[in-house]
Amino acid sequence: MAFLEVKNIVKDFGGLVANNNVSFEIEKGEIVGLIGPNGAGKTTLFNCIVGYYRPSSGKILFKGKDITGFKPFQTSREGIGRTFQIMKVTTGLTVLENVMVGAFSRTDKREVAEKEAMGIMEFLGLIDIKEYHINELPIARQRKVGLARALATKPELLMLDEVASGLNHTETDEMVGLLKMLNKEKDMTIFLIEHIMEMVMSVSKRVIVLDSGVKIAEGLPNEIVKNPDVIKAYLGEKYAKSH
Amino acid sequence: MEKLKDALDFSDFSKTERICFIIFTIFLLVFPWLGVGSFVKTVMIQFMLFSLFGMGWNTIGGYGGQVELGKAQYVGIGAYTVALMMVWWKVPFWISMPIGILIALGYSFIIGYPLFRLKGHYFAIATICTSLVLKDIFDNWNLVGAAKGIELPIHEHPDFLYMQFKSDTYYYYFIMGLFYIAIFYMNWFRKSKLGYQLRMIKDDEDAAESLGIDIRWCKIKAYSIASAFVAVGGGFMAVYNLYIDPASVMELSLSIKIALMAMLGGAASLWGPIIGAAFLVPLDRFLGSWLGGHKGLTGIDFMIYAMLIMIVSAYQPKGIWGIIEQFRKRGR
Repeated sequence: MAFLEVKNIVKDFGGLVANNNVSFEIEKGEIVGLIGPNGAGKTTLFNCIVGYYRPSSGKILFKGKDITGFKPFQTSREGIGRTFQIMKVTTGLTVLENVMVGAFSRTDKREVAEKEAMGIMEFLGLIDIKEYHINELPIARQRKVGLARALATKPELLMLDEVASGLNHTETDEMVGLLKMLNKEKDMTIFLIEHIMEMVMSVSKRVIVLDSGVKIAEGLPNEIVKNPDVIKAYLGEKYAKSH
Repeated sequence: MEKLKDALDFSDFSKTERICFIIFTIFLLVFPWLGVGSFVKTVMIQFMLFSLFGMGWNTIGGYGGQVELGKAQYVGIGAYTVALMMVWWKVPFWISMPIGILIALGYSFIIGYPLFRLKGHYFAIATICTSLVLKDIFDNWNLVGAAKGIELPIHEHPDFLYMQFKSDTYYYYFIMGLFYIAIFYMNWFRKSKLGYQLRMIKDDEDAAESLGIDIRWCKIKAYSIASAFVAVGGGFMAVYNLYIDPASVMELSLSIKIALMAMLGGAASLWGPIIGAAFLVPLDRFLGSWLGGHKGLTGIDFMIYAMLIMIVSAYQPKGIWGIIEQFRKRGR
């Protein structure tokens, strides 16, 4: 039994098939990357797993339990945390309060939630901005708040939607280091969608490639970059030559 | 115990706020003995009543960010429960009021469940509709007095059980008690798990759901709390006015006033509804008595409210309290 099993997922939006018969498995403790060109159906697949969409057919098993058609708050309670590609820029809750809301999913006590939130923010280096609002932060910091918020729900599987888009090189490297540390120290299983190839290749143990809603390849990062289908669909000849 | 501690703990407010709050409390306590006329006392009672309504609305409308414009139906439920039970079975206020709260809670769950499938403007329209439907039913229901309304039996002697007093001062202190219970409750509420979750829902519903929050259930809970608050106020109105009819306790304009007071003062803040009521209740009373004397001017007060709503939502969505906070931030 795999940690996360995705079996023959089909999602069609009234004629437009976003995911067609996608199947894969993720083992506990892995970091798996999901890549593909724009419109390949990566985010749709993500949303099917997390519960924002209900798959047209197919099954999703998490820790052996059938979670197909669960609502997002239910998958969150099962232990799947996620971040968003575009973080809504809000002025209501402060950073600390945002993370506390995540922690509240496992406790009813404010003191406990605050303590846990502070612990996570210290781990991610967010203590200095705890009184700020999300709209006052640069994008790299916003992403980290999203990550902290998701981590506060104590997920076993962390799903990251383009966590490095819009970040510069140093920030991306920092994020890679952070994800590796989370994986190693907290034994976090990570599943990420990413556009930046360097990031996917350096952080993932395994890569899945989607194109036009179909899984076209799956394997180790260095195998993937040599796969002719992947080169044709996504990477381009130039990338293959330079690597 | 911890909840009580949270409710009484104002330590996260600034010193100025706490001092103002204490002065305000002392002022309210001695107010009836300052030799003011009965009209001013009535305005004061109205002020606290509407603060109570506003604080209730603030749970779902302020912290939860749902534009709720149907609170009058719960005023009606609270008022009618108290009045009818007193007229039909001579049930004392202290028994009929809790029953009124329970009915409001049950009704709000039934109404809230389908209502919260809707979002944004559609939700706002739906709340108005449910309130209007209930008012129409009461307008035509002969058993409950239809549009004529019902009069409560007047007791010869002051009666604590039925909350009947000759002097307004008793009512003043009673509503003041409710008003302070509401403040303490809201002080706890804003620090509670539900309070945080609601604010997250207001900020970003998708993110809230991804953090394990059952959005619909949270909204229903907040909606029911708001309804219970408002029903208490409705019960008070019944024993205070000794006469109720659908036009006085279920009118759409009442719903709008409740929401407007909280919004004008500052939604999602503890003091907002109180500040809003302190502005609007005297204004309402003044306009009411002034315009009432001039033929052809009735209705202008609503034009003024409408303008206030537009100004607030355009320039400072956080209301008067938002303006105060802005100045404080600049001063720092």
